[in-house]
Amino acid sequence: MTLAEDNGPERGGDELFAAEYVLGVLPAEERQIASRRVDTDTDFARLVDGWEVRLSPLASAYAEVEPPASVKAAVDRRLFASTAATPAEARAGLWSSLAFWRGLAVAAVAALALYIAVPYVNRPAEQPQARLVASLAADGSDVKYLAVYDSERHDVSLSHVSGTLASGKDFELWMIEGKNAPVSMGVIPAGATAHIGVSPATQQKLAQGAVLAVSLEPAGGSPTGQPTGPVVAAGDLKGI
Amino acid sequence: MTPQDITKLIVRTSMKDRAAFDLLYRQTSAKLFGVCLRVLNDRGDAEEALQEVFVKIWTKADRFAVSDLSPISWLVAIARNHAIDRVRARRKPAADIDAALEVADPAPGPEAMVVAGDESVRIHHCLEELEKDRAAAVRGAYLKGESYAELAERHGVPLNTMRTWLRRSLMKLRECLER
Repeated sequence: MTLAEDNGPERGGDELFAAEYVLGVLPAEERQIASRRVDTDTDFARLVDGWEVRLSPLASAYAEVEPPASVKAAVDRRLFASTAATPAEARAGLWSSLAFWRGLAVAAVAALALYIAVPYVNRPAEQPQARLVASLAADGSDVKYLAVYDSERHDVSLSHVSGTLASGKDFELWMIEGKNAPVSMGVIPAGATAHIGVSPATQQKLAQGAVLAVSLEPAGGSPTGQPTGPVVAAGDLKGI
Repeated sequence: MTPQDITKLIVRTSMKDRAAFDLLYRQTSAKLFGVCLRVLNDRGDAEEALQEVFVKIWTKADRFAVSDLSPISWLVAIARNHAIDRVRARRKPAADIDAALEVADPAPGPEAMVVAGDESVRIHHCLEELEKDRAAAVRGAYLKGESYAELAERHGVPLNTMRTWLRRSLMKLRECLER
């Protein structure tokens, strides 16, 4: 009799299998089966998560031990050595990650519903329900940004996906609500990621799902308070 | 760092924010290295495992959103699972430093339990309701990632007996925690 054969419903089935997986006692092949199921079977993943939560206080017995600096250097080499990824690759990475995020948000809502329904799990919800996402792009422009508005931190994080900036120019971020004139949210700091703080007046409009747009402006931003250059990317904020 | 701060770092890491990832590493690598060392019992092995763990954290940070775990527990779970997979893939366990550590899995003293908070007190209380050697087997399995086979050998019982012990213990534990 293998361990797997003993996992029928009469013996507690998945519940026990999840518990054994989390406890760490299963042999290699069964751990692989369990780990694949975590990726593909939401119900099983939830059982595993439940056991991780239940047993997690035991982890306080792990001592903290400072690792040697060579470890972080090796991590950076592995993750970032080929930083010269082509724009196409970079884009694919981000977009697929965005799609994944949205999928996750659905699961997060389901998890939250479970959390509400199951009274003994008493831990503050940390799901990102306060977050909106926009992918900013426009026809005839290769400028793309991924924008995430976090209503709790009152900021918009921007990931620069593609498109270069001519010297002496800046990208400026605008909020457009309905038919009103665009409201400047500021010049986008250069770099792969940037954060822009959001004023209270703008916060409310963003929460209702305004459009974000990026225009090309003289260095330092539009001199007039309205976009003066072409809009190179735009998109509306959606819940994730 | 509060759990909220760690949460923010994980979320920003999921957006490929390297500065956040660096800070997350600084804040949590000692704990996660402790996990890898305990399970793998070999420094070189644990260092390699820690590398792989942080590569996983970088690539899978967005999954945190669907877990009910606190941020540090979520990170510990990644490290533990990775270290256990690694130790299982090893042919022969690097057994013998382990024997020296064998004594070192007592229930934490009352002070540690107060510091660790209610949840922790509860699980230790529930472990006390189990027979002593079974509670020790649960703790040993969790902290060191020992397999059924290793536990059976150490406790001198057949593998099936060990499995039955642990499964019953797990169900009792759950029942106690939900009481």
